[in-house]
Amino acid sequence: MAEKTVNVPEVIDSVESLEARMAAMRKAQAVFATYSQEQVDKIFKAAATAADKARIPLAKMAVAETGMGLVEDKVIKNHYAAEYIYHAYEHTKTCGVIEEDPVYGIKKIAEPIGLIAAVIPTTNPTSTAIFKTLICLKTRNAIIISPHPRAKKSTIAAAKVVLDAAVAAGAPEGIISWIDVPSLELTQTVMKDSDCILATGGPGMVRAAYSSGKPALGVGAGNTPVIIDSSADIRMAVNSIIHSKTFDNGMICASEQSVTVMADIYDKVKEEFAYRGCYFLKGEELDKVRKTILINGALNAKIVGQSAYKIAAMAGVEVPETTKVLIGEVESVDISEEFAHEKLSPVLAMYKAETWEEALDKADQLVRDGGFGHTASLFINTDETEKMAEHANRMKACRILINTPSAQGGIGDIYNFKLLPSLTLGCGSYGGNSVSHNVGALDLINIKTVAERRENMLWFRTPEKVYFKKGCMPVALDELGTIMHKKRAFIVTDSFLYKNGNTKQIEDKLDQMGIVHTCFYDVQPDPTLKNALAGTAQMTAFEPDVIIALGGGSAMDAAKIMWVLYENPDANFSDMAMDFMDIRKRIYAYPKMGKKAYFVAIPTSSGTGSEVTPFAIITDSDAGIKYPLADYELLPNMAIVDTNNMMTQPKGLTSASGIDVMTHALEAYVSMMASDYTDSLALKATKLVFNYLPRAYENGANDVEARDHMANASCLAGMAFANAFLGINHSLAHKLGAFHHIAHGVANALVLTYVMRYNAKEVPTRMGTFPQYQYPHTLKRYAEIAEFNGLGGKTDEESFENLVEAIRKLKKAIGIKDSIKEYGVDEKYFFDTLDEMTEQAFNDQCTGANPRYPLMEEMKKIYTMAYYGEPDTNVTF
Amino acid sequence: MAENKKVIIVERSNKTVYREGDVLVKVFAKEHAKSGVFNEAHITSLVESYGVPAAAVRFVKEIDGGWAIGVDFIEGETLAEKMKNEPDNFDALLEKFVDIQVAVSKFKAVGLRNTVDKRAEEINALPDLDPSTRYELMQRLHGMKRHTKLCHGDFNPSNIILKEDGSWVVVDWSHATQGNAGADAALTYLELTLQDPALADKYLKLYSKKSDIAIQYIQTWMPIVAAGQLTKAKTDAEKELLTKWISIAEYQ
Repeated sequence: MAEKTVNVPEVIDSVESLEARMAAMRKAQAVFATYSQEQVDKIFKAAATAADKARIPLAKMAVAETGMGLVEDKVIKNHYAAEYIYHAYEHTKTCGVIEEDPVYGIKKIAEPIGLIAAVIPTTNPTSTAIFKTLICLKTRNAIIISPHPRAKKSTIAAAKVVLDAAVAAGAPEGIISWIDVPSLELTQTVMKDSDCILATGGPGMVRAAYSSGKPALGVGAGNTPVIIDSSADIRMAVNSIIHSKTFDNGMICASEQSVTVMADIYDKVKEEFAYRGCYFLKGEELDKVRKTILINGALNAKIVGQSAYKIAAMAGVEVPETTKVLIGEVESVDISEEFAHEKLSPVLAMYKAETWEEALDKADQLVRDGGFGHTASLFINTDETEKMAEHANRMKACRILINTPSAQGGIGDIYNFKLLPSLTLGCGSYGGNSVSHNVGALDLINIKTVAERRENMLWFRTPEKVYFKKGCMPVALDELGTIMHKKRAFIVTDSFLYKNGNTKQIEDKLDQMGIVHTCFYDVQPDPTLKNALAGTAQMTAFEPDVIIALGGGSAMDAAKIMWVLYENPDANFSDMAMDFMDIRKRIYAYPKMGKKAYFVAIPTSSGTGSEVTPFAIITDSDAGIKYPLADYELLPNMAIVDTNNMMTQPKGLTSASGIDVMTHALEAYVSMMASDYTDSLALKATKLVFNYLPRAYENGANDVEARDHMANASCLAGMAFANAFLGINHSLAHKLGAFHHIAHGVANALVLTYVMRYNAKEVPTRMGTFPQYQYPHTLKRYAEIAEFNGLGGKTDEESFENLVEAIRKLKKAIGIKDSIKEYGVDEKYFFDTLDEMTEQAFNDQCTGANPRYPLMEEMKKIYTMAYYGEPDTNVTF
Repeated sequence: MAENKKVIIVERSNKTVYREGDVLVKVFAKEHAKSGVFNEAHITSLVESYGVPAAAVRFVKEIDGGWAIGVDFIEGETLAEKMKNEPDNFDALLEKFVDIQVAVSKFKAVGLRNTVDKRAEEINALPDLDPSTRYELMQRLHGMKRHTKLCHGDFNPSNIILKEDGSWVVVDWSHATQGNAGADAALTYLELTLQDPALADKYLKLYSKKSDIAIQYIQTWMPIVAAGQLTKAKTDAEKELLTKWISIAEYQ
């Protein structure tokens, strides 16, 4: 089928002809959108050059048509719009890939917006047309202009100069167009049917643009107040203001509307204004001008862009023909004062301020009432940094100009070379605008960001020294004296170990080295904050330079807390306990540790691995909150794994802490954050536990080899999960322990096979979020553990079943019961608290690294199955 | 008691107004559009339905070949007459005038035409307006919010009748619209300015105070209502004033 041809009328004077033109422009723009940067830059240059060359005829035309402004100044505006805009964007990339960082996998691609609607005012008809058409060409957009009826000929002429040059340089025909017979209806159609609006005009126009439903870069009225501070260079200030205020007869929206002068320099300022040709209105003249400039609170159209002499004549005031600016010395900044308004002509209000505060108040009021968000100006000695800061802070203006003629200064790049050149000045939300900067080419592109998948940097962190081997403790401690020259040691342990004489060997060694020492031996199981604070008080009084933690997880965790509070007495506990999604991005930054004391951790059980982990758990019994603290600042400096300290572990502890080690290893291996570094440690730990835990449990102190290997297994698994973290097995166990007083290791064991089966699902309800975790693969990971342990299996499924069976056997061998119920947990109480326990488990810090993101309902089912000791094969979800 | 005989009140080329018993009858000349008469009856009946004290419509019918509308005859003195007769009481009467206008604007004018549309039609219909001024005015009008308050459209003291019991009735609703109270006040201000500029200023301050509508907001409507009145200007001086009022520039 042949494409329907649309006849686009030559003259756009109706909605129908406009719609036909806009449809044709969209086609042209679709072609333009395929142009390369090189083609576009060629067109941009040709168009800017043509506009630049036509600056004088266009300026003449604008003045002749509108009867406003001054040809010579309009020449400057046209020159600026062509040359400065070209220069600003000459090398700017606006097509295709404009930014790329292959390492981070990020790429930015610029695309045109499409068809831009431009509303052009009477005050700057040719320069604004040049500005807007040029930035559209640079960004491969089509632009349709809605001129003001009073300035349509000159606006269209300017657009045509740019269009002809652009087309000659290769741009599609009709890429720039305009309404020939402007009306509000057509302006509204242009706005409604465009992709984006560049609206320069008064509040009515800006409101219309925003209500059209299309994104708009609207701008608003200005009412620039200028303050001349006592410290200012008066001559520079006054002449800058005159230079700006007279420019194009005051028609730039950023030009000064009022000047507030400090009382002590008022007379000098006045004298300079008068000397330079400004006229101070006297007596009745003031009222005559008031009535001329404003009609019923609105600006008299007849004075806009007229000379001071002409305006005075209209008001019936006789002034010299060469008068530059009419100045009214007035007092009120209220809008009932005519002089307080924007005047778009060389008429200026002048106020006297007794104090700096009064000057700021006046300027603030003037901005708020007449030019919210536009521009404010200040003349001052720039050594007065405090005043300048205060001024910038007070003015609700998006351009704050210092020692600058505001008309030429506000449009940018003339008096400051980092302020973007523009003839469309954003007024921010103050002025109901979407932008607060000087609008430019980059506002007219859509930037597509291409982000490639990248994997996070990972890490492996351990204490700087990990000493191990049966009997190594005194040798390792020797360093404290001989190498580190420590003077005061503080031992943290529990009363059992203290009374049992386990600290004796340490104390003897310290005595031998002449290190003064004391001991806090009151760490309770599941230590409380109160307990730790008592230790901290003692520690603070003693001022140790080395802390030695001796014991199981409780003693080591409590010592870590005391260490934090000793080093940072002001640290906030609940902040430190803040959960994180990624430990590197946590909001709270831990205080730096080690300024006061070196930390040595000596485990007496083979389980928690706390001697090499950055974790500590502490309970605030008053608030009923358990704080799991996690940060590498909590990592001990030295770990001493000496089996001699572990020989007399009772059976129950051997069993519970031993299965805890297995859980650490399994969870670290299947964690989303597992790496080659942690995998090797975790795998080895599983093998040691399978081989030696039953022996250590059965033979106790008689089996040194089994104890030795279990000590190492605990420490290896600790290093694995210190870096790969854990999973929901620990989340469930933490809360099970807290709610029902079940030993941590046992709690882990009770949910272990259910969790394994849950995590191993190939079609989980939700998988965890981490870039390196690409798809659910936990079944395979468990199969790898089975294989490493020689458990056999032809498929991953078989290997997994063999692993689960081996775990079941291990639990049986070390006397772990089959259900939570068997540990004496009351059924009613269990189910009454189940929902709360589930939610807390879901919210546990360990949940984050689990390969499967759990639903609370699923966690609840696991708890229920574990309560009754159901077969783990029931985990079908 | 009024008797059932015709008492002529006004006789002009385009209409005759007379009283017949308790009905005030306006008989329009034959050229007057039939729709205009029905429209007035429609508007007035809507205003009645809001509960506004108004002279209620009794009928629309053809009388002697012209269309006529009959409304309740309200016994009493117009506020304009009272102002003229009681110069010492003028300030209190002006206050009353403003109070009534504010009270009227509290009614929600469901079903009436919107002020914005009516003014747009007026501006578009002006024959000699230069395109630039028309553009500015339409742009200004387009930026106005569309309110739903009852606006009388010709609210002046001669359209208010004070009854003996002290209650009031507003008559002549043919220009009523739903819209912005500020626009209605701007119209009143304009009418008063043509008669007595000092009184107009006094009215504006009072209205702004009592209605809590800023003078600046009312002023934004002045060029728009002035344009609507341009064709009705009776003298060159009036025309000059109205032309001055509409010759304003939007800030840019």
